[in-house]
Amino acid sequence: MAKKKENYDFSLFEYHNLMNQNILVSYKGPIDERIMTVIGENILLVTEEGSGKTKNKIFKVFMELAQNVWLYSAESCKLENGKSLGMGTLVVGEYGDYYTFVTGNVVHNTDIVPVIEKCETINSLDRDSLREYRREQRRLANEGKPNSGNIGLIQVALTAESPLDIELTPVNDDESFFSIAVKISKDNYKNS
Amino acid sequence: MELENIEIEGSHKNFFTPTVKFDAQTGICELSGESFLEDTAEFYKPLVDWLVEFTTKIKRPIAFIIKLTYFNTSTSRCILDLLNVLKDYEDDGGEVTVNWHYDENDSDMQEDIEDYMIDTGLNINIIPF
Repeated sequence: MAKKKENYDFSLFEYHNLMNQNILVSYKGPIDERIMTVIGENILLVTEEGSGKTKNKIFKVFMELAQNVWLYSAESCKLENGKSLGMGTLVVGEYGDYYTFVTGNVVHNTDIVPVIEKCETINSLDRDSLREYRREQRRLANEGKPNSGNIGLIQVALTAESPLDIELTPVNDDESFFSIAVKISKDNYKNS
Repeated sequence: MELENIEIEGSHKNFFTPTVKFDAQTGICELSGESFLEDTAEFYKPLVDWLVEFTTKIKRPIAFIIKLTYFNTSTSRCILDLLNVLKDYEDDGGEVTVNWHYDENDSDMQEDIEDYMIDTGLNINIIPF
C-alpha cells in the first residue's frame, strides 16, 4: 500500500521512469568544473566503444554544452566565496546507433534571441562554412570584440557533426527554459 | 639578455592544466597535455608575453611543439594568440618551426590545425601519433 510521502513532494518513481532505459546519465543541479569533469569522464566509461575518436567527440561535446549551462544559466546558486554556479540539467542517452546529449537551463528572454539566431546560423551552414565561421569568431574574440566570444556552439556542431536541436519553453513573462540537443553517430568513429 | 624558462607541470584534476616547457636557451617550446582552466586568459598571458620577449629580444630560432590531446574553446583563442606571435616573428625574419602532434583518430583536431594554418598563415607540420 502506498505510503503518504511526508518528506518530499514528487514521485521519484515517475522521474526514474521518465529517465528510461535509453538514458545513461542525468543530472540536475549546480554545475561547476568538478561536476563537468566527473560526469564527463563517467560518460566516457559508459559509452566507450573501442576507438579513441568516440572519446574525443563525446568528451568535447559534453564539456562545451555543460560549460554553456554553467556560464549562461539564469538560475544560479551563490557560493560562500562569492562566486555563483549556473543551475541546469544534463542528460546523455544512447539510442541504437547514436548518442544524444541534451542540456538545458533557464534563460532571461531578453538574452536568448542572439543565442537562438546563432544556433540557426550554425544549422544553416555546411561543414566548410562552419569551419570558416569558427575561424572568424575566434579571430574576433581575440580582437576583444564584445559578444563574439561564444564559439562553443560552433565547436559542438562541428564535433558532433549534428545540427543543434534547440527548444525554448516559456517559464514566465521574463524567463524561458532553453535546451540544446545534439546527436553523435556511432558510425562516426566505428569506421575510423 | 636573460629570459627565464617556463616550466609548468600539467595536472588532470577538476581543471586540466597543460604541461608547459619554454626553453630560452634551446628555443624549444612545448605545450602538451590537456587544457581546461579556471582562468584561461590568466594562464596563457605569461606564455604569450614570454614568446613576445623571446622573439623581439633574444631572436634565436624557435621550435614550437604542441601535443594537446584536449583543449576547450577558451583555450583555442589563446592558442591563436601564441601562433600569431610566432607569425609576426617569422614575418620579421625569425626562424620558426611549428610541429603539432595529434591523435590520428582525432580528425576534428586535424581540421582544427588546418584552420589555424589558414588563420595565421603559419606553416604547421601536422604530425599524427
